[in-house]
Amino acid sequence: MKMKKAASLLLGATLTVSALSACSTGNPVSEDSSKNGTTTIEFWAAPNPPQQAYWKETAKEFEKSHPKIKIKVSPIKESPTSEASIQSAIAGKEAPTMSENINRGFAAQLAESKAIEPLNKLDGYNDIIQSRSMSDTIKGWKFSDGNQYVLPISSNAMLFGWRLDILKKLGYSEPPKTYSEVIDVTKKLKAKYPDKYLWAKPDLADPTAWKRWFDFFMLYDAASQGNNFIEGSKLVADDKAGVDVLNFMNDIRQEKGILTKQSKDPFETGLGIFTDIGPWTLTYWAEKFPEMKYKETFALSAPPVPDGASTKDVSTFADTKGLVIYTSAPENEKKAAMEFMKWVYSKPENDVKWFEKTNLPPARDDLATNDAFKPIFDKNPALKPYALAVPNAVPSIDNAKYNELQTYIGQYAVNPVVKGEVQPKKGWEKMKEAIEGDLK
Amino acid sequence: MRTRHNNRLGWLFASPYLLYGLIFFLIPLGWSFYLSITDWNLIAPVFHHVGFENFMKALKSPGVHAAFIVTFKFMIVFVPMVIASSLVVALAVHGLPRFKGLFLIGFFLPYLASGVVSSFIVKGFLSYNSPVNKFLRGTFSLDVNWLGTPFSALLVVSVIMAWKFTGYYALILTSGFESINKEIYEAADIDGVNGWQRFWKITLPLLYPALFTTLILSIGVTFGIFTEVYQLTGGGPNFATNTWQMEIYKQAFQNLSAGYASSVALIASVVTFISIFIIRKFLEMWGKRNGWT
Repeated sequence: MKMKKAASLLLGATLTVSALSACSTGNPVSEDSSKNGTTTIEFWAAPNPPQQAYWKETAKEFEKSHPKIKIKVSPIKESPTSEASIQSAIAGKEAPTMSENINRGFAAQLAESKAIEPLNKLDGYNDIIQSRSMSDTIKGWKFSDGNQYVLPISSNAMLFGWRLDILKKLGYSEPPKTYSEVIDVTKKLKAKYPDKYLWAKPDLADPTAWKRWFDFFMLYDAASQGNNFIEGSKLVADDKAGVDVLNFMNDIRQEKGILTKQSKDPFETGLGIFTDIGPWTLTYWAEKFPEMKYKETFALSAPPVPDGASTKDVSTFADTKGLVIYTSAPENEKKAAMEFMKWVYSKPENDVKWFEKTNLPPARDDLATNDAFKPIFDKNPALKPYALAVPNAVPSIDNAKYNELQTYIGQYAVNPVVKGEVQPKKGWEKMKEAIEGDLK
Repeated sequence: MRTRHNNRLGWLFASPYLLYGLIFFLIPLGWSFYLSITDWNLIAPVFHHVGFENFMKALKSPGVHAAFIVTFKFMIVFVPMVIASSLVVALAVHGLPRFKGLFLIGFFLPYLASGVVSSFIVKGFLSYNSPVNKFLRGTFSLDVNWLGTPFSALLVVSVIMAWKFTGYYALILTSGFESINKEIYEAADIDGVNGWQRFWKITLPLLYPALFTTLILSIGVTFGIFTEVYQLTGGGPNFATNTWQMEIYKQAFQNLSAGYASSVALIASVVTFISIFIIRKFLEMWGKRNGWT
């Protein structure tokens, strides 16, 4: 009898716990979002400490002047990636009101699933664009359906870093600008330092989609003067520019200037003298490699261009991230989120604070000319070239299948070309065939 | 009357596990079946039923073909490697006069180590400018692209996996050794058998139950390799280390094709079930030949 009682209790307890956990939404914010006339919004910020700190401070400031809106800032979980966390939150109906750190490709996936709001259809959008002075920058962000789903926060126009100290030893005072100049540098480098490489980067042999942003797209955007790669569901890539880029990679390989083997800090150790550099690298170097000094050890330049092309206002890839508002949020939360965005971008001081804390250039047209940012450039002159490049920066493709499509660029073109397994033109054709097959 | 009462009590005691199995295995399995015939991406409010389209696409996919082959390649490299190393460890520990437990715990520790951390260490160790590679290049003019060529990448992952699982399997094998009756060895000594014969004719056949367990476990591991491959090779070069889990991850979390990823997961589970079933039959035949029923 005692046994029976114990077993019944055990079963009862198990069922109660299960039933209770099934009842929980796990999202207390949405339940209380408009309690006592106060709207509480949940804001997921990038998990790195500077961005966390920025958004927490900014939210507090905002709450002082907007007592009816509360902002709960928390980090996006990265298990296994921030995109996967957002995806599972949406699936589990636990998406926040808004989040940052969304790139254009992922936004396209979310937009296709109607998971994020077209911001241009929300009240206050135009005010943000005008008050933040970003009408030129935002143009490249328009999606193929004509909407704007993401408000870019920062625009990291990617630049190439050159080991200036090694270039000087080879007789150069500044980085080369054209393909043939780069090949000349490679020849001289291999003659003087046979153990060094022009481009030591294992990612060149890796088909992972996002890795193409930091090699192929930087060079392609420069060679094609910012020509789109895909428009909507159509491949519109500039064939000549694409083949030129692959030929350039192939030429460096033939000069034994490419190393795709796994290597540790190849640029910092001088194993390679050319690599893509984002503004975040400067923060990393300040901590880990203080010997990397701008205009002494390294120089920054726009991507090299084919011979004969203009070397002024060269386009490059923009690693941009922005803010989105989720469709699953109640209307009052969406309004509050827009109110918050309007407030944040109504004064440049908030962008100055952002730039100071994160080193990521705000996505504004006047970044290089607005005096508010001058003290930052005076303190860290290496950031100036990034600010100047913002207007020439091209964001990533806005196709929901960007992952598969960019994987094809690596798989059929970049990876086999740098390994010498396929001729550039053939690789380009095979890549186009794969992309067009998937876009059908 | 008593039997019925006992049955009810049995069900009651089993209910927590049954409930657990229902929530975490059966319902997700049914959901996975359902997802596999849709084009849902886990986000979209509307999605379509696509019949067996996902399965047809998966059967033609180079990623799935690679996952199928790569698993068997891992089986060929990893299983003999881990069984041999755990046998060596178990034999060494078994021969110790004392502190066997302490040594076994020491060998077991890598099993608890994070796959991410060990992969990072190996990545640094094998990098082009690591002291090991500098030594190989400088002394033997050997320039090995450890993670960039198909066989060496497979070998590196297998070695990490073997390092991780050796202690665990050695624990099972040691208990197998302990259970062999010492009198058999004494009788064999009287009959004049040498060390080689002792191992092949006595130890190995009598170790069958423990070996059976470790073989099945290690074969099962090859169907679930993910962390090391994700960290070190991303499934490359040219799909050379693209395991089932890697392919499922890529489709579900990178391409956001949950429906298609579910169909790949179901194909993987069928392949796993059939493969383990066949291998088990072979192992049982070997056991029967040695008198195990």
